[in-house]
Amino acid sequence: MTIKAPGGKMKKIEEINQKIKDGDVVVVTAAEMISVVAENGLKKAAEEVDVVTTGTFGAMCSSGAFLNFGHSDPPIKMYKTYLNNVEAYSGIAAVDAYLGASQPNRNPEIGIDYGGAHIIEDLIRGKEIKLVAEAYGTDCYPQKKIETYITMDKLNQAIMVNPRNCYQNYAVATNSTDETLYTYMGTLLPKFGNITYSSAGQLSPLLNDPYFETIGTGTKIFLCGGEGFIIGEGTQHATEVERMNDVPVSAAGTLMLKGDMKKMDPDYVRGASMPKYGPTLYTGVGVPIPILNEQIAARTAISDENITCRVIDYGIARRSRPVVRETNYAELKTGEIEINGVEIPTSPLSSYKKAEEIAEELKEWIINGKFYLTNPVEKLPSKDHFVKPLEIKKPSILIKDIKIKPVIIARPTEKINDVAKKLVENSINHLPVVDDKGKLMGIVTSWDIADAVARGKTDLKDVMTKKVVIAREEEPVDVIARRIDKYEISGLPIVDKDNKVKGMITTEDISRLIGESSRKNK
Amino acid sequence: MRAWLRFSPIIVNETIISDTMKKYDINFNILRADISPRGGKMLVEIDGKQVQESIEYIKKRGIEVNPIKKVVKKDDEKCVDCGACLSLCPVKAICVMDDWEIGIDDQLCIGCGFCTSSCPMKAISVME
Repeated sequence: MTIKAPGGKMKKIEEINQKIKDGDVVVVTAAEMISVVAENGLKKAAEEVDVVTTGTFGAMCSSGAFLNFGHSDPPIKMYKTYLNNVEAYSGIAAVDAYLGASQPNRNPEIGIDYGGAHIIEDLIRGKEIKLVAEAYGTDCYPQKKIETYITMDKLNQAIMVNPRNCYQNYAVATNSTDETLYTYMGTLLPKFGNITYSSAGQLSPLLNDPYFETIGTGTKIFLCGGEGFIIGEGTQHATEVERMNDVPVSAAGTLMLKGDMKKMDPDYVRGASMPKYGPTLYTGVGVPIPILNEQIAARTAISDENITCRVIDYGIARRSRPVVRETNYAELKTGEIEINGVEIPTSPLSSYKKAEEIAEELKEWIINGKFYLTNPVEKLPSKDHFVKPLEIKKPSILIKDIKIKPVIIARPTEKINDVAKKLVENSINHLPVVDDKGKLMGIVTSWDIADAVARGKTDLKDVMTKKVVIAREEEPVDVIARRIDKYEISGLPIVDKDNKVKGMITTEDISRLIGESSRKNK
Repeated sequence: MRAWLRFSPIIVNETIISDTMKKYDINFNILRADISPRGGKMLVEIDGKQVQESIEYIKKRGIEVNPIKKVVKKDDEKCVDCGACLSLCPVKAICVMDDWEIGIDDQLCIGCGFCTSSCPMKAISVME
């Protein structure tokens, strides 16, 4: 719905605040506004409704908190700081630290299961947290190490400052590959097995004010059960994006938020872990939109079916991932959408139930005179913002760039004894098995040969592994190193586009490469 | 009734289940199985007139039987109703209710554990 010229009477935030004071303010949630406009028409809705409340409760990794611990006696200038074994950044003055929500635990046994986000929740719940700090010692701060326990009450300040929250729309994720992927968009099953999405759609704050006409620095909001503020645009804030029905079809605007953790409620903020990805903070945010004119009213009435979003293939681990199809939040919320003629189940990753609760809670606060609106000091940037990529000056080394030993291969018809000789003579541990055109059929390792001898097998074709993890010539070495680690293997054959074996890359090759590059850097 | 059956390595080659089905005319639905030469376990649903007798027989043949009332349990304190689990359930036992709350139908659950491992809040557990 696009309104060319805003009609009707213009309202001011001061007038709305007077109505809040007088107890006759009219507040509806963004979900309710859809039917208010449909039933009463835009003109009447804009006149009668004063505030539309929005809400979202989702995984917002880019969150964290500034903590001030107070000075010990003798004093310490904290250099390395750990809270229940999760590192907080303390490269800021003596006893301040910033705890990032997505920081994993330094104990590898715990790792991503209990990280920064979980500490934030535990602090809000009033739990005791172990603080360990190390320092190098100065004349004014002689103490070199402290170990103690803190709680929220003992902290001077615990201020949540989230650099990037409330993405205005976001990608919808799926996976075309043959393996399960564990991503920040949750678990993605192989071969388009499922679809995940994270936006709250029609309730989402920035989709209800798509050009930031009312929102800006200084806008008071609901943050994790307490009052918070928008302190500016978030990192990666983008405005020059494709739009449909006025709203962006992909990730666009973002918010930087601030709030007092001492006043937050664990019902609206939770530490979480995306499986095999990392810790993240489920953050509850509600932004009030003052209905100042008909145009603003029309935009808050946007419904799920009018918010387009794009299904992206996360199977391609590059910066630009291919778009599989376009859809909208009404379709996604039915629980299934179609890809290539098949109905694929969908999962929201953010809680629509909590988003509604937040919008309702904020509505109650306003109606009961507990929450007044603020005029932003400056509106959020609504144009000329792009997200620039990171250019790597030192280009990544590709597999084809590294020196590979001449390839030694075996044929499936060879006998185990001959294969064993081949391995020993060439002092290698991996042997790709190929057909008469040189195409990869399998792989055999020295361990497989030992195993075959122990079991009395004689033919290579009965011993070789047929499902082979491979490396392509065009792939960066870093990607292959990660693959070796993921599959817990020691080497993989390099193949060209016709599946012909070009060589082998092993953990030894990669270690040598790291050795060479660190020598060069010195 | 539903139960976990546990097999020791010495009995994995015996035809205990089919013997039981023939002898007691029971319906035997395997919800989940993980059995190797080293033994293993199976989650089953047994129906019929002679359920008790059949269980006694299974036990006598050396299978450990642990009846369970619930296959899956959701901790409502931990769950935030995000729905990350919805699309991972292979039997559509997880659904969104009218008020956007996430519900798990224990009758449909086969205890595969996909939702357990994918829950960001670790709110779901499969009864062993």
